[in-house]
Amino acid sequence: MTGVGDIATGRAGDMTRVGDIATGRAGDKGDVLDLTLVAYDDAGYRMLAREITSGRAAEALKHVAPSEVMRYEVPGLRALKFVAPHALPGGVHASLRAGLHWQKAAISLLLDLEIHTVADVDERRA
Amino acid sequence: MAMGGHASFTIGAGAGFAGDRIEPAVRMARSGEVDAIALECLAERTLVHALRMREADPDAGFDPRLARRLRPLLPHAAHCRIVTNLGAANPLAAAHAARRLARDEGQTKLRIAAIVGDDVAAQVDDVEWAQATCDGTWLGAHAYLGLEALVEALAGGADVVITGRVADSSLVAAAPVHALGLSGAALAGAMTAGHLLECSGQISGGNLAEPGVPYLDAQTYARLGYPVADVAVDGSATLRLLEGDRGRLNVAGCTLQLLYEVHDPSRYVTPDIVLDFTGVRLEALGENRVRVSDARGGPRPERLKVIGFLARRGVIADVEIAYAGTGALARARIAAEVLRLRLPRELGLAEFVVDLVGVDSVLGRASRPLACEPPELRVHVSARCADAELAQSVEDEVYALTLCGPAGGGSVRSERRARVESITGFIPRECVRMRVEWADA
Repeated sequence: MTGVGDIATGRAGDMTRVGDIATGRAGDKGDVLDLTLVAYDDAGYRMLAREITSGRAAEALKHVAPSEVMRYEVPGLRALKFVAPHALPGGVHASLRAGLHWQKAAISLLLDLEIHTVADVDERRA
Repeated sequence: MAMGGHASFTIGAGAGFAGDRIEPAVRMARSGEVDAIALECLAERTLVHALRMREADPDAGFDPRLARRLRPLLPHAAHCRIVTNLGAANPLAAAHAARRLARDEGQTKLRIAAIVGDDVAAQVDDVEWAQATCDGTWLGAHAYLGLEALVEALAGGADVVITGRVADSSLVAAAPVHALGLSGAALAGAMTAGHLLECSGQISGGNLAEPGVPYLDAQTYARLGYPVADVAVDGSATLRLLEGDRGRLNVAGCTLQLLYEVHDPSRYVTPDIVLDFTGVRLEALGENRVRVSDARGGPRPERLKVIGFLARRGVIADVEIAYAGTGALARARIAAEVLRLRLPRELGLAEFVVDLVGVDSVLGRASRPLACEPPELRVHVSARCADAELAQSVEDEVYALTLCGPAGGGSVRSERRARVESITGFIPRECVRMRVEWADA
């Protein structure tokens, strides 16, 4: 994925781990996996919003919690939500993973993603 | 509090799940500055357990931790009300148990109310299920009740209100909504505060990792303070820790909790109001103090959410065996392969998972690559089994690795879980007959 980036700001290809610019938490209701990311500043929020599309999130989940993913944006709180409606078939009790409630750890799937850092032009000029 | 002529009401989050810590609520009750404590103690898992207990004994079916949790709080209940879903599958029996407990503690004047009617097992034909119902035996079905009956009980003078399945935000918001007489935008605020508090320590530093900020130390986690909210008449609230309590209650943690499990942040459906969190303002007011305001709300839904539980035939076997020392990883990988060969061939199993605890048992194929060989690890297998005998055979297959598998296998651990599936649905409000029952002496 090199070579992608905003030429005007240079340093195309620089990457960061999502967990280094955001906090997150996983929850569930029935068979729905519900993930939240919160960025620490506006630039971080724009980075997350640009890089972590619903498709990218679904790709991150596909091996353990395959599902379509709906993304919700809350710019006022610098937050993104990713809701995977069929990720946990049968709910908590039906899981074949070790022990109960593995999905509390599922936020790592997003926090450990590496994304491009290239900031937008407006922010660099501000 | 408002009834004394002040303009705010202080509600504390004394528990966020059935097994939650006991002493944070006791500190709240003793502080003298908390008007009511909400104890949220009911989840899918605990409700299923309670339904099974009630099946065996009609006087059981409430949370077995009720006495341990309520005993230290009852002496304070006259000035610090208790609102809790410890009633689980049998709130009336729970209220009578609380009554006996209060009498034993010399608290004979406390008024204790039960909210009943969430159990809709008899009205299951009125429920429209969101998923196709699977094969299995019905264990029960419960509607998520709202504020109405809770407020009625508090208005009737209840010092302790015990419910079964109630929406968590409503459970926490009930006391301030009653005391301050909140409606409209102010109700949206109180319900938002209720939602923020419902997971206790998860908003005061628990389950929170922030980039570039050191983890809280063990001393702090070991004695984490639980949050309280000073709810104002306009519905805005100040979330804070009690003086002397440890923790980290900040805007980041509040943001995570505000959006926790809400799915669409512009449409969080509760029985009492449909909340829109997209315009909420969270402001740091100093150490461990955050103000929340500007929640919006729309009309309450016509139907209530229902959760149903089905017991399916068979059990899930969850078994592990450990390997340690030099070569542990290679031996564990061979043992895992042996199980993959034998479980389908010898036991005819089709639905099973084999992986390595310490490598990929939580995140499966999405796990980060192994950086070095761990000094020890566990082979884990979970299998869906038609009956207990087959589950025993899975355990036996793992145990047989000690004699017939790679060297040094041991520390076998085995558990079995009932195959319970939960499904959600909706029921028209008028089909749910909720009411207040008093457990008087």
